[in-house]
Amino acid sequence: MAEFLFYFLSIVAVAAGAGVVLSRSPMMSIIALLATFFCLAVIYLLAGFQFLAAAQVLVYAGAILVLFLFVIMLLNLGDTRGQFRLQDALLSGKTRLGLAVAAALGLVGAVAARRAPLGEHDAALHAEGIDDLTDVATALFGRYSLPFEVVSLLLLATMVAVLALAKRQRGPASQRPPEASATALAAPPPTPAPPPALPDPVASKEEVTS
Amino acid sequence: MPDVLVWLMKAGAIFGILLGTAAYLTLAERKVSAWIQYRYGPNRVGPWGLFQPFADLIKFIFKEEVAPAGANPLMFRLAPFLSAIPAMLTVAVIPFGPEVRIGEVATNLSIVDLDVGALYLLAFSGLAVYGPILGGWASNSKYSLLGGLRASAQMVSYELTLILCLLAVVTLSGTLDLREIVTSQAERGVWNVFVQPVAFVLFVVATFAETNRHPFDFAECEPELVGGFHTEYSAMRFALFFLGEYCAMIVMAGLTTTLFLGGFGIPFVEDPHWVLGFLAFMTKTAMFLFLFLWVRWTLPRFRFDQLMGLGWKVFLPVALVNLFLTGAVVSLLG
Amino acid sequence: MVVVERKELTLAERLYLPEIFRGMAITFRKLFAKRVTRQYPEEPLPTTEVTRGQPRLVVNDDGNIACVSCGLCEAACPAYAITIDGHETDRTIEREPERFDIDMLRCILCGFCEEACPKDAIFMSDELELADYTRQALVYNIERLKRPKSALQARIDYVYRLNDRWQSSSSTS
Repeated sequence: MAEFLFYFLSIVAVAAGAGVVLSRSPMMSIIALLATFFCLAVIYLLAGFQFLAAAQVLVYAGAILVLFLFVIMLLNLGDTRGQFRLQDALLSGKTRLGLAVAAALGLVGAVAARRAPLGEHDAALHAEGIDDLTDVATALFGRYSLPFEVVSLLLLATMVAVLALAKRQRGPASQRPPEASATALAAPPPTPAPPPALPDPVASKEEVTS
Repeated sequence: MPDVLVWLMKAGAIFGILLGTAAYLTLAERKVSAWIQYRYGPNRVGPWGLFQPFADLIKFIFKEEVAPAGANPLMFRLAPFLSAIPAMLTVAVIPFGPEVRIGEVATNLSIVDLDVGALYLLAFSGLAVYGPILGGWASNSKYSLLGGLRASAQMVSYELTLILCLLAVVTLSGTLDLREIVTSQAERGVWNVFVQPVAFVLFVVATFAETNRHPFDFAECEPELVGGFHTEYSAMRFALFFLGEYCAMIVMAGLTTTLFLGGFGIPFVEDPHWVLGFLAFMTKTAMFLFLFLWVRWTLPRFRFDQLMGLGWKVFLPVALVNLFLTGAVVSLLG
Repeated sequence: MVVVERKELTLAERLYLPEIFRGMAITFRKLFAKRVTRQYPEEPLPTTEVTRGQPRLVVNDDGNIACVSCGLCEAACPAYAITIDGHETDRTIEREPERFDIDMLRCILCGFCEEACPKDAIFMSDELELADYTRQALVYNIERLKRPKSALQARIDYVYRLNDRWQSSSSTS
């Protein structure tokens, strides 16, 4: 039963993953991605990793994907039908390069997973299954606390970098007006004739009411 | 009796309770709103209108399902289910009562007791956001889209506060298993609401936002958005959205009871009979459900920017500080 | 100029919660307040002789209707709701309607027929309910319009009183 479920979910996950890439409508991609995350979560559950499954749903399906959805809606991306043909994409050099890199990485990963000797601690964990939260917590905040903190720093750095990039892109346009006004102040116009005093509409109104 | 059979009976009973409560919650909402406004409320179908939910159901079934032109057909059909199903799944980890012994069979009165029950609940209640946002988008209507966007922004923002308040309780109890959170409160002899009053208040308010209820019901917001994300929905699909909303309310009320009010425990009673425990749980949950209705008919709706400001600038920092203090005290004392 | 001074909010007001509880206390009290809804079919609308309901034909004590089918109400009716066909009788009153239909779907309950009638034959009753399954069923014929004089007496008295006052006031001016 569990094995059947595993293969079934794997097939669905892979198919949905293909759907993410191949779908022409970004909305359908999101839904396919959602399905992939779900299948993965259930596979984790089958393997006995309750925490990982819950975290998968909570973080990926519940938060990150919603963000994607937001971006897609706000950008108002339509169907890409007609702008883009799968064959062209598959035949382009960049895609081939990307596919080759992905395949190589996958191969390396698979070989590494096969070859990697399990440490004694890991083996013990593996035998019991890491479904116990305490194990996860001690591993995350004890043994691997330094990598964990480094990763969080990395995320922070990425966030700051993205903010900086976004700011710089908007920078020149928004910086021009202050500069202009600064030069205007530095060099006043040669004829400082006071402009004809147009009554400020707000002020005059207040006078009337008073 | 084989375990599977026991489990099936239990699951059936709990789902029955959930759906029945949801059905009668619609009646309760109409009754409470009527009483607050000097009216009687529905009182024609059966004594005191008790069969009103069934009449509503029949009406929903026989109504025509209308889909607007230009709606995305797949998403439009999918969205109500995405709204209702996560809400119904979350009930699985709520501990309704203590261990039940019928004859020689002993079982806990909840569908499953997960090690990571609280996390599971949050994960699936977080998924409820897909219903409004996809329904709003697929309707091909500006009101629906705005309602869906608001709903999702609001739910994502308030989920943070919800999680941080829950973490404060988890820090106290040292477990994510909801049943153990209940027993830890019984052992300590004091409910979490007295230990964590700030977290309690924040949590209750955040549940209002999370379930899109007044005064934070921007997803619907009749005066501005017609009906929000479900403007274009009719018949059973519309009913499914409402089923989702009411189920989410019930689960959130049950979760608040579990986390802060000692769940199925009764003060000063050691190890009560399971019927009493179950009744205690239901009474406390009903109290929170009444609070949902009562607040709805008391407070006016916020403005959307006020809601976001409240969530990010007030609730989140306060919840963070509360969590920090809780962690500090727990690690110093324990 | 009016200077509006913003009131400095106290901490309790800015916390918002006390005010919420105050509001909730008010609504909680209202939960038990007296209900004002009228339970309509069981609790009918209160009517007086001033109520202008659907027009009805007066049946005199001798069992005949007072209408002589003069057609004045038909002419006065702004909604063209009344249709009258008259015929001869053997009685002292020589004419009576053979057909007197009021289309209740057209009737606007204005009371012009009552004012127009020279024989005090048609009066506005206090009947207001109007419901049926077909349009045809709501065209009331002579039999459905007949009401004994006693049933309409309050209205008749009221109309006489009103007419008296109108006449006396117009004669003095």
